[in-house]
Formats: sequence, structure tokens, C-alpha cells
Amino acid sequence: MSEEILIALIRLFAVISKQDGGVTEGEREYVLAFFRQQLGHNDIDKYIAMYDTYSGYGQQKKTGTTTLEDSLQALKVSKKINQTLTQRQKVIAIIESIALINSDDHLTEHELTVLNTVTAVFNIPDKTVNLLRQFVTGEALQAFNHNNALIAGHQIRERTDALFLELAISGQLTFIYEQATDLYFVKYEGEEDLTLNGMTIVPRKSYLFSVGSIIKLPRGQTIYFSDIISRFSRTRVKDKISFVATNLEFRFPKSDNGVKKINIQESEGQLIGIMGASGSGKTTLLKLLAGILPPNSGSVKLNGTNIAVLDKHTEGSIGYVPQDDILFEELTVYQNMFFNARLSVSDKTDEEIDRIIDKSLKNLGLEHTKDLKVGNVMAQTISGGQRKRLNIALELTRQPPVLFVDEPTSGLSSRDSENVIDLLKELTLLGKLVFVVIHQPSSDIYKMFDKVIIMDTGGYPIFYGNPIEAISYFKNISQQLDHSKAICEACGNVNPEQIFDIIEAKVVDEFGNFSDKRKITPEKWYEYYNQKLTPPVVEEVKKPPANAFRIPPRLKQFSIFLQRDVLSKIADKQYMLVNFLEAPVLALILAFVIKYKNSPGGEYVFLYNDNIPAYLLMSIIVALFLGMSVSAEEIIKDRKLRAREQFLHLSKTSYLLSKVAILFSLSAFQIITFVVIGNAILEIKQMTWTFWLILFSTATFANILGLNISSAFKSAITVYIIIPIILIPQMILSGLLFSFDKLNDNIVAKGTVPLAGDIMASRWALEALAVDMYKNNPYEYPLFAADSRKHNANYKSAYWTKELRQKVNFVANNFIYKDAEISRNVDDALLTIKNELQQEPFKGGLAGVHLDTLLAREAISPRTLLVLHTYLKDAEAHYIKEATAAQTKIDKIIAFLESSDQYEYDAARFKKLYFNENLETLVRNTNTRNRIIEIGNRFIRKIDLIYFEPAKPANPLNYRTHMYAPQKYFLGIKFDTFWFNMGVIWSMTFILYLTLYFDIFEKIVARRWFKR
Amino acid sequence: MKSYYYTILLGLLLVACGGNKKPDMAEVETSLAAEDPGLPEISAENIEAILASIPSPLELSSHIQEAGIAYNAGYLNSTDNYENYQTSNKKALNLGIYGTDLGYTNLYSQVQDGLDYLSVVHKLSDDLNIGHFFDFESLKRLTDNNANLDSLLMITNQNFDRINNHFVEQNKASLSSLLLTGGWLEALHITNQVALTQMQNEDLRERIGEQKIVLDNIILLLTVYSEHDKQIAELLNDIKKLEKAYENVNITYKYEESTSKVVDGVLEITSNSTSEVHITDEDINKIAAAVEEVRNKIIS
Repeated sequence: MSEEILIALIRLFAVISKQDGGVTEGEREYVLAFFRQQLGHNDIDKYIAMYDTYSGYGQQKKTGTTTLEDSLQALKVSKKINQTLTQRQKVIAIIESIALINSDDHLTEHELTVLNTVTAVFNIPDKTVNLLRQFVTGEALQAFNHNNALIAGHQIRERTDALFLELAISGQLTFIYEQATDLYFVKYEGEEDLTLNGMTIVPRKSYLFSVGSIIKLPRGQTIYFSDIISRFSRTRVKDKISFVATNLEFRFPKSDNGVKKINIQESEGQLIGIMGASGSGKTTLLKLLAGILPPNSGSVKLNGTNIAVLDKHTEGSIGYVPQDDILFEELTVYQNMFFNARLSVSDKTDEEIDRIIDKSLKNLGLEHTKDLKVGNVMAQTISGGQRKRLNIALELTRQPPVLFVDEPTSGLSSRDSENVIDLLKELTLLGKLVFVVIHQPSSDIYKMFDKVIIMDTGGYPIFYGNPIEAISYFKNISQQLDHSKAICEACGNVNPEQIFDIIEAKVVDEFGNFSDKRKITPEKWYEYYNQKLTPPVVEEVKKPPANAFRIPPRLKQFSIFLQRDVLSKIADKQYMLVNFLEAPVLALILAFVIKYKNSPGGEYVFLYNDNIPAYLLMSIIVALFLGMSVSAEEIIKDRKLRAREQFLHLSKTSYLLSKVAILFSLSAFQIITFVVIGNAILEIKQMTWTFWLILFSTATFANILGLNISSAFKSAITVYIIIPIILIPQMILSGLLFSFDKLNDNIVAKGTVPLAGDIMASRWALEALAVDMYKNNPYEYPLFAADSRKHNANYKSAYWTKELRQKVNFVANNFIYKDAEISRNVDDALLTIKNELQQEPFKGGLAGVHLDTLLAREAISPRTLLVLHTYLKDAEAHYIKEATAAQTKIDKIIAFLESSDQYEYDAARFKKLYFNENLETLVRNTNTRNRIIEIGNRFIRKIDLIYFEPAKPANPLNYRTHMYAPQKYFLGIKFDTFWFNMGVIWSMTFILYLTLYFDIFEKIVARRWFKR
Repeated sequence: MKSYYYTILLGLLLVACGGNKKPDMAEVETSLAAEDPGLPEISAENIEAILASIPSPLELSSHIQEAGIAYNAGYLNSTDNYENYQTSNKKALNLGIYGTDLGYTNLYSQVQDGLDYLSVVHKLSDDLNIGHFFDFESLKRLTDNNANLDSLLMITNQNFDRINNHFVEQNKASLSSLLLTGGWLEALHITNQVALTQMQNEDLRERIGEQKIVLDNIILLLTVYSEHDKQIAELLNDIKKLEKAYENVNITYKYEESTSKVVDGVLEITSNSTSEVHITDEDINKIAAAVEEVRNKIIS
């Protein structure tokens, strides 16, 4: 009870009890007892003092106090209270107040006047006040009728209109039902020891009889909440339903397990228990009935419609509560209900949803947990029973007429279990048909079922009918003597364990030991079942079942999923903190450690930091890591929830896209913090967007990859073990740690990046970053075109012509020999020369010469060699000239930019600020020993890769180039490497989205590893 | 809470943006085309004649060693300045300077410094596309082994002719001039610095004085290119300041008939002409200051 309510009550009690000559000891004693009950002994003195002050206890009674004055005071107090209490609390306050003024066994005129004032302010109708008065004081006010009062006892002869219930106790139990607030109260008048929820009932005291309450009678009998409300709700209207399962059969692929042929027919208002040993197919049967598993044969019809083909209006008629929780741990009870409602009864307004939730929380006794976080099993904020009830409440929101509940009591205490089953029982009173799988029910729970279906190992149905009859049925068959005594007479208990003992009774061998062999096999029991039991027949209802199920359009679903996820993530403070700090902290550590001062002056100069290429790779690895770690658990966490949403036909696309939207936003934020901090420390200027775009793209790739893994594997631990297996190849094949030229022969590709590298996002990201950072930094940008010209010409003059000359010399020295092997080598050299000359734009003296004729081995003569040598000399001169011209151009551009007022270009300063030496070494590949190599009769250039523009490929789909190419062709269009690579990463992301959508990895993993 | 995140995000965006604009290359091209002045009209023979009259820097520095002054790295242009040279003109000038410095370190057998200078010489010559004229492997071996100056001198002289030819062929003859100018200037600078510590050393004083003639040639050479190249014009302006420092230096020739005699059946001709250099301490101070000023501008 909150302090607010307590204080309100103290004031109310004070005002009421000071009537008629002040507080009497009896009244004070009553109040004290009330406090003790509510508070224990902790704060009790404080409240007593408060009560004494308000009531004026121990003071001289002021003379001349009039009724009017007291009423005015009561009016003041109750008006104040009016704002703080809910209507239900007010009713409870009134009943306590009546009990208080009745503590001296009579109500005076004065007291009644004050009471009336209070009830008037509280807006409680006279009818209700009279009901409560009659209940508390026993006055004959004729307020009881069969809608609001029930008297239970042995041979009651009372002259009221109340309902009567025959019960073997002395004295009587009185229950009343206050309809407006949906509250039940109970009072016992008699001498026996009764308990209410484990507490002894004090005779003649009123108790709130709340949802799920249980009263134990002395002789082991139990009165459940549902027992009582079923009396009151007799008159409520129920929708008729017919649920018919005909010849239902199911077998797991490649296995004998499943469910053997079964017929079930039920109508509304039944609680059906499905029982059986482990592996007897209980849950399978439940899923078949709910339409989650498609049967091999047979059908399930709800009101004449096959549930496999429920249409728009009837889908959602079936509720299914899985064994596992389908709750958002980080959200409150209310939020869980709210998002569920938005998704399943989308045609309701927020206010209507609010009302529905309040009502169902009230009905399930969860109202006080409304704003509590659900929490997880380890860190519970609400109890296991409450969790289970909440799970059921989620399904009830859309009011399905048929409800399937899988093992609702597993892991719950016996009281929580009874409480949950009682709740389900209560639902049947409202006309629902409820199927419950339950492993081993206690006797009390067992008795609550209207019918039980008992399954035996191998999926054999062996009993279907009344639970009490089940015991005698089995005993009968096993020919035990006491088959008629189904219920233990002494204790009032039936023992469902007996049933299983009989079913699974083992043959005793000659040594008196139990063998593994059963006396009666499941097949035999099934035979008996088919012979002796006739399944019930219900009349088919034609009217389609009503339910409130409306799913929202996909876009709306997306936004609901999004809100739900965002809220639950924000609620997890630790998660938020770690995710927001992870990137900046990593940036800080990485950049700080590798900020290497290598410059002559001792100050930090970006140009000389040798670690920049490694920083690029590490940034990419960080992006991959961050991207994967935020996403890796996402789907695993939601797996059960997804199963339910799938059952409700909620859109998978909406769900996945909401995940994607959140993960992408998170990644975008993480990457920007990483880049801003890392680049600031390393003084990488003007590159923020380049870095962000590439690293963000990489992170999104990792996000989706993480989601794929998350959906493919069953446990988070497996996923985290998988992460290195995915990340380490990304490092190995990024192109930086190990040169693509120096890999295993089976992997390496001629002059291009190997395919194994091409499937790595890291390689595309690294290339994009390195190329863009080199080409487009403020220093190099204006010079790049001229630089390319210079270095390309330089390659031709310094390497290409020299290599060709060697080939020509080889031909010159060997063409005269007739030896087969030498001839082959000469042919080979000639082919290389021809290939190279064909591709060469500078023709010189070879213009118009037919190369095939010139370079045929038979036609080689000293003249040919002279032609070739002359050509090579010309080509060399041509390219030296070209290189010099390009250098002149560079000089001019620098001179122009430096002298122009328009630009603040300063070549020497800009180079130190924006250009990095080691990056240059990387992208120009100047460290390589082999600057030109020959493969497949072609020369392959290995130097100045960044300036080496790939030729337009013959096949428009051929995207492959050497690493650090400045541009790339695809579909005949030339793309800048930066944008091309980004396109590749996003294409990979998109493909991964498709594999995620179609669960491709999940299917692969399932097939490979869990093959039976 | 939400607005807090937005603020962070906005802040990051602001940090991320805010750049300096890249030049519009089309515009740059147009401007360049408009100001292209073409090439100077001067015959290759004339230039070669002038170039030949300028002594190799190493010849100048050999006198330093004879002066018996200890090695001083402070005289030299630090290799750290390499990145300051971004245009061909600057690269050529400083290649000359570093070449001289390399020779100086070799004089004193300073292997580590020598390797450092060799490395920048290598880089600069690569930048100028003349890397293939040097056999860096041999040079490195020479530096490493403290080989004598003569081999270095020979290689350098041979190379210079080839480099010059190359530049002339490529219509970049101005680079040869700059290469020489740099080398000469650095040699003069080092000589000056040594002379300042040994004012009484007649040999060094004379060498410094003699450079008046070389200076005239260099000015003549640079004048040819200055019309077409703003940077050279600027350099010429600076070099001309040296003229002023040299104005009081006088060189007088005393002509005497050459004598000839037969030694072992071979005719030997000996020149008997001498030149006399008149140079005061003040002149040397002035020259040293002026050279340093020009040099500082070049190496920065």
C-alpha cells in the first residue's frame, strides 16, 4: 500500500472515528490492528502518531461540536482523498471505514451521516454502500441478490436473494461482488480454521478476494477464485464455438515420433488438459491443434473453417502461449502489453488500447506491476507467476475464442501454478476454449480441468475425457481392485500420478526387479483408447468466431517494431552506455598508441606517421567488430518472439527493417564518434566524410552479417564464437597485412585481387579509403592527373621498354636455332612482344605494320630486329618526353596555385598536413622488387598502382582490377574507386539482407549440423 | 535526453564539415593555358659553353679539406628539408645543394651523414626523372667504404654531362643551370663558413674572390631563363645581390708566355699566367652574409 493511500486512509479513519464523543478504545484498536496488518511493525509508530493527531485522541472533547461541523470536516478530507485514490481503492477504503465504525457493533446516526458524506463525495452509489454495509455489519438491508452475493455453507437457511453454495463447513462464508469496480470480498462467520492465500481467516473480518485467491477448507477442500466467479458469471453471454479436429495425424520426418490419429471435438467454455510423459507429443499435439504445425493428414476446423486457411476475418481466432516467455525484458509490463496491442488490435485508438490493457491487467491481478520492468529470469522484478500471466495477457488482448497454452506451470511454485491454471479456468467461464499442456499437475490443478487428453510415449493418445473418470478408466483396465474409489476419501485428493504409474507400470522379472518392459505398451493403450472411448460430438457452429484481431499495415508495423526496440534499448542503460562509449574509447586508444612522431623536428607531422595504413585497416576492423557485436544477439534474443509474430502473420520485412534501421543508426553514430576522435588525434584532416562513409558502409555490412549469424545459430555463445571466424579472414584478406601477390598459389590471381579477397568487405573498404585518401587529399588533388601522366610515362620508359628490349634480344639471339624447345621459347617471347605492342597506344615506326606478319618466327630477320629496336628507342624517348612534360605541368600547377589569391595552396605545407608517406608507399607499391612481371604472355605492372588506370574490359561484368586502381569499369561505365567500392559493399549488404530474409544461413546450418 | 543526443550529433556534424574548397581543375587548366610563355630561344651550344665554365662544386670543396678544419654538419642543408621542395626548379636547386653536401660529408668520411644525403639525392633525382643516370648502388658502396674523392668526382662529372644532355633534350635546360647554381652556391657557402673561422687562410680567400667570375656566368645563364620562368626571375634577383657583395673584389691577370719543353720525348706546355685576387676581410664577411641569405631562401 503506498504511503499516499495510507495517509489518506489515516485521515479518513480519523474523521470517521472521532464522531460521537471522540475515539473509542475499540475504534483505535481496530485502526492499530489495520496498521499492523498493512505495515508490519516498522513504521507503525509514525502512523499511529499521525492518526492520534488527526483524530484528537487523548484530548479533551471539545464541547459544542456539531454534526454539521464534523460533516464539513469529513467533506474536506474526503474531497482531498478523492483526487488521490482510484475508484477501487475508494471502495476498499469505504469497506474499511464501515468496519471501523462498526467495531463497537453498532452504527450511530452521527456516524452514518459522516459515512454518507464521504460516499457521496467518493461518488459511490447507495446500492453499493448498502451492499457493503450489509456485508460488513450483517444488517438486513435487502442489498444481497444473486448478482452480487453468494453464501456458502452447510444447509444455509437465510432469507436473502443471494446465491447459495453447499459446502461442508460449519458457519458460513459470504462473498460479495461489487460490479462497478469488479471487486470481490469475502467474510467468514464460524469457528473452523480457514486460510485465504495461506493466511488464517479471522472470523467476521472482511477480506478482499482478489484474482487468483485460494481458500483452503479444513478437510483439504479448496475454493478457487474461478469457483466463485463462475457462480456470478453464469448469466454472461458466451459466443458459441465448435472446435473439431478430425483424424489428425503427424509424423516427424524420418522418425516414428509424432502424434497418432486423434479426433477431438469441443465447444466453448472448456478447460482441456493435455498430459503425458516427456516425449509423448503433448506440445506437438498442441501445435497441431493451434495450426502451427501442418498435420500430415486430417484437419482442424474452428466453426466449420479449416484453421489452416483462416481468412482475414478469422485469423487471430487462435491464441497460442508458448512455454518460453515472449516478453521484452527491458520494457515495463504496460509497454509490453501496449506494443502487443498496437500490433494485434490495430483498429483501436490509443485510449481504447489503454482501457483494454488496464482491464486485462486488472483481470489478471497484474495492475500493481503495470509500471515495473519485466526483467529477466536472473534479475526478476516480477515473479514467475506474474510473468506467465503476462504472457497469457498478451494473447488475450485480441480476445481469441480458442487459447492454447504450453506448459504454463513449469518452473512455478505450486501456488503460482494453481493461480495460473485458475486464471485459465476463469477464461473458460467467459466462454473461451482453453487447451493446456501440463507435465505433471498437482491434484488440485488436475481437478480443475473439464477434460484431459493423455498422451503416451510415441505420440499415442490413450485417454480423452473427464479427469476423474480417467483414474478409474486406467485402473479398470489394469484390473486393480479399488477402481471405483477415484477420489481419495480421506483427503479429498485425486492423485494424477497414479495414472502415470498405471500407464507406465513395468513387468517384474523373476528376481523381483522391474524390467524395462512395460506391462501395457503405448500401442496397446492406443488400441483400448480406440475401442473403449468414443470421442464427444459437438454441433458445428456456422457463425465465424469473433475476435478483435486486426494487424496494422506493414509500414505501421515497422514503426511499432521500431518504437518497441528503441524503447527497450534506451531502457537498458548499460547497453546504451557501452555502445555509445565503445567507439570513442577504441578511437582514443588506437589513435593515441599509433600517433608516431617520426618527423625531423620532433613535432608530430602527419606526413611522416608510418602507421596510417595500419590505422585504415584497424578502423575497418573496428567498424566490422562494432557492427557485428551490436547485431549478433539481436535475432537470437527475439527468436521466440518472432515465432509468435509469425504465428500472428506480422510482416517479417517490417521486423527486419526495424532492426536494420536501429542498427544502422547506432552504427552511424558509433562510426562518426570513432572517426571524429581518431582522425582528430592523428590529425587526419579533410577526410571525415570519406572515412565515415566507408566505415559506416562497412559497419552496416557487419550489422547485416551479424543478423544473419544471429538468425542461423541457436545460442548467443555460438554466435560470439563464430565472430572471430568471420573477422579474422577479413583481416587476412584485406590486402594490407599480406600482399595479394604473396599468397598461396591456389588463391593468388594474375595481376588482380584474388577472388578470396573480393568477397571480403575489408578489402573493398581498405582500397576505397586508401585510394580516396591518396587521390583526393588537398595536396594531391590538383596534381593527381599530371602525376598519373608522369608516372605512367615513367613506367613505360623505365620498365616496359627495357623488358621488351630483353625479349627482342632473346629473339635476336635464338631465332636461328631450330631446336624445338628453343623455338617454343622464341615463339613465346614473340607472342609477348606482339601482345604488348598491340595494346600499346604509341605506334611510332610500327604504325600500319601488321604485327602478325612481322612477328612470325619464320619471318624474323635482322631487319625485323632493327625495326623493333628502333621502335623501342623511339618509344623510350617518347615517354621520357611525356614524363618531363607532365612534370612541367605539375610545376606550373603548383606555381599557379601558390601564386593565386583564390587558393591558399602551399605545396610544401599541404604535403605535410594532408599527405602521408607510408600511404604513398602502399598505394604506389614502391617497395616491391618486381616492378614488372610477365604472366601469360603479358607484362603486368606492379609499380605506381594508384596511377595505373585499368583498361576497359571486354566483358562488361568484369569488375576485377589490381588493388588500389584509381578507377574501375563496370557495365562499360567508368567509376571512381571510392564510389565503386562503396557500391560493392552495399551490394554485399543487400545480398546479406536477402539471405537473412530467406533464412539461407539458418537452413544451411540446420541441414549440415543437425542432420538426423 | 533525446535533445542531448541531437546536440552531440549536431556537434559532430559541424566538426566533420567545414573544409577548404578544392581547386576547380578546369579553371586551373584554363588559367595555365593562358599564361604559357613558351620556351627561350637560345642555342644549346651557348648554354653548354657557359655551363662548362662553372667549376664543379667538389673542386671548390677540395680546398676546404686542405684547410684542415674539422667537419661541421651545421654548414649543410638538413636532409629534413626534403619535403619543402615541391617544384622541379626547387628540386633541381636543392639537388645541387645536397650533391655538394654529399661531397662534403665524403671529404670527411662521415658515413652515416653521407648515406642520409645520398638518400635525399636519390629521391630528388628520381623526382626529376634523372634517377637512372646515377648508379646509386655504386655510390652507396663508395660512401660506405670511405672511397676517395676522386672516384666520386669522376662519377659526378660524367653524370652531370649526361644529365645536362638529358635536360637539354627534354627542353628543360633551365634545370641543368639550377642544378649547377645550387651546387656552386652551397660550395661557396661552405667555403665562406670555413673561411670565416680562418680569416688568414689565403688559399680560401682567393677561392672565394675568384668566384666573382663564376657569379657573372651564372647571372648570365639565369638571365636567359628568367623571362620565361617567374621562379627563376626571382632567384636571379636574389643572386644579383651577390654582385653587390663582390663589387670591391678585384681580380687582376698577369699574362706571361707559356713555356714548353720536351720531357721523355713528349712536349709539355706550362702556363705561366697568374691571377691575383684582391679581397678584404670585410668583403668576405659581406659575401658570406649575402650567400647565406640567398641560400636560406632556396633551402627553405
